[in-house]
Amino acid sequence: MIENRPWLKLFSHFILIAGVLIVALPVWVALVGSTQSAGSFADSVPLWFGDQGVQNWSHVLFHAAGSTLQIPVWHLLLNSMIMALGITFGKIAISMISAYAIVFFRFPFRSLIFWVIFITLMLPVEVRIVPTYQVIANLNMLNSYSGLILPMIASATATFLFRQCFMSMPGELVEAARIDGAGPIRFFFDILLPMSRTNIAAMFVIMFIYGWNQYLWPLIITTDDTYYTLVMSIKNMLSVPDGDIEWNNVMVTTLLAMIPPVAVVVGMQKLFVKGLVDAEK
Amino acid sequence: MTDLVLKNIGKTYPNGYQAIPSIDLSIEEGEFIVLVGPSGCGKSTLLRMVAGLETITQGDLLIKGNRVNEKEPADRDIAMVFQNYALYPHMTVRANMAYGLKNRGVPKEERDTKVDSVATMLGLEELLDRKPNQLSGGQRQRVAMGRAMVRDPKVFLFDEPLSNLDAKLRVQMRVEIRQLQRKLATTTLYVTHDQVEAMTLADRLVVLNKGKAEQIGTPMELYNKPTSTFVAAFIGSPAMNLLDAEVTGKGIKLNESIVLPFSHDYRGKVIWGIRPEHLVASDEQNGDIALQVQAVESLGAETLIHGVLVGSQQTDGSAVPLVVRLSGPHLPDIGSHLWFTVPREDWHLFDANTQQRL
Repeated sequence: MIENRPWLKLFSHFILIAGVLIVALPVWVALVGSTQSAGSFADSVPLWFGDQGVQNWSHVLFHAAGSTLQIPVWHLLLNSMIMALGITFGKIAISMISAYAIVFFRFPFRSLIFWVIFITLMLPVEVRIVPTYQVIANLNMLNSYSGLILPMIASATATFLFRQCFMSMPGELVEAARIDGAGPIRFFFDILLPMSRTNIAAMFVIMFIYGWNQYLWPLIITTDDTYYTLVMSIKNMLSVPDGDIEWNNVMVTTLLAMIPPVAVVVGMQKLFVKGLVDAEK
Repeated sequence: MTDLVLKNIGKTYPNGYQAIPSIDLSIEEGEFIVLVGPSGCGKSTLLRMVAGLETITQGDLLIKGNRVNEKEPADRDIAMVFQNYALYPHMTVRANMAYGLKNRGVPKEERDTKVDSVATMLGLEELLDRKPNQLSGGQRQRVAMGRAMVRDPKVFLFDEPLSNLDAKLRVQMRVEIRQLQRKLATTTLYVTHDQVEAMTLADRLVVLNKGKAEQIGTPMELYNKPTSTFVAAFIGSPAMNLLDAEVTGKGIKLNESIVLPFSHDYRGKVIWGIRPEHLVASDEQNGDIALQVQAVESLGAETLIHGVLVGSQQTDGSAVPLVVRLSGPHLPDIGSHLWFTVPREDWHLFDANTQQRL
């Protein structure tokens, strides 16, 4: 549809620009705030850069996130990264394997098992948090990376999406591989894995962001600040018992927490979109 | 030596549906066998049973004398070409062709030599580093055949391999497949629903109907002596004219006015058949039967005339359709009457009850 109506153009531009402003303003405030001195937030929110930028950033990154959290943010970044990547790869591996079993193998109670997996969609972490905590505590996994990662890696959503992806695989291809002498393991690695490349990428993006943004679970099971993750530690920095909140440091940490997910989305956008819409088989 | 033997082979699905009641077939080494039949006749099922992709529920399947009923497809020493080619989209042509060898532990140098020699034979040398989505339909088809050939199997299985190609390419590939098969002398089982493909490719044809082999024979045997009305109607294009008739003492009675002189011991209802190309144009005095023209298809080299038999009605009162194939261009008026003679040697007679040849 090609139309040439100047007022419509102006109007739609206005809407779009307003939208961009609404989305970008908090980011701008965070960016500007990260360059201010601790006291500048006392009366109003600053809207232009201050002169403490380099100092704030290097202090937060390499020395301590704030007065209440004596741990440098690079360490929190590392923790978050380990957790997010662990969850992502764990989820992809587990759900691919279970979807593989459900789609390509005939075993008793196959569809029952699928539905049981599917029903766990109704039980997110928040619902089963108490029993999960109990299990992890009994396994002595509080304050550990495996404690952060393991309870998160079973995913009904990913299993379901991989199942759909595998089911759209042409039957003739599976048969051709059988005739070519590819056993189950070979078929999985030689045919299935490379052919689900785009789906894996899409899943990676979704799961990485899910893992990165985990808040409640790390908050509960980590008491040792060497295992704190970035996202939950921002909350920690805000709950100062006395004195002022160090908004400048919070802003730096916030910006740092935003970078990895943004990088993943931007970097994998092409594959991501392809994986969700494209069926190039 | 017989290469492939199907002994009383049958397939019944777990739900009780009997796809193939029982088929016996023994195939000589190097023979090209075509399984042909309308859709749903069980031809693909039979091929897949030979391949090992469908279980065999009855009978024995022997390849080179070994019973292979329970063997995995990969262990049967067969190779299959699929309708949609089934090339691995993420692999290059070379990798596609070599994959079966790789899985069998053939060393890389040997794989490369084999792939190269097959690629040369099929004219694929230039394409070895491309991916399947960079190839045309005909090229993909060729790669699929190459993949089957590299392994040098005992039996080739083709499942309607040409049905996704355009008409011109299909004719070309048909000839090529035939030549290759002659050259390699590999026993081949080929499934198609296209009777032209079947006739041109086969050493022997198996016409399947509802899971049963209606007739097994060379293309000419099937054309000249179809054993049943099903085969008669299936082989040949346009199909044979089949008319209800009755054998009496005076001859064969097509209707009240047309009685063709003929003597036979049989008495009673029959189906009288004659191929469109066997009707000979004549005139009113000498002609045996008359046709009222309804439609004319001019194909240049030949003309197909569709019409109805004059003065005859089927039991339900509708006119009796008749097709004639004449060589060269003809342009009869629609509705006009044409006269033909029907040479005795070109008749086919079938029992009206059993549909079998008399």
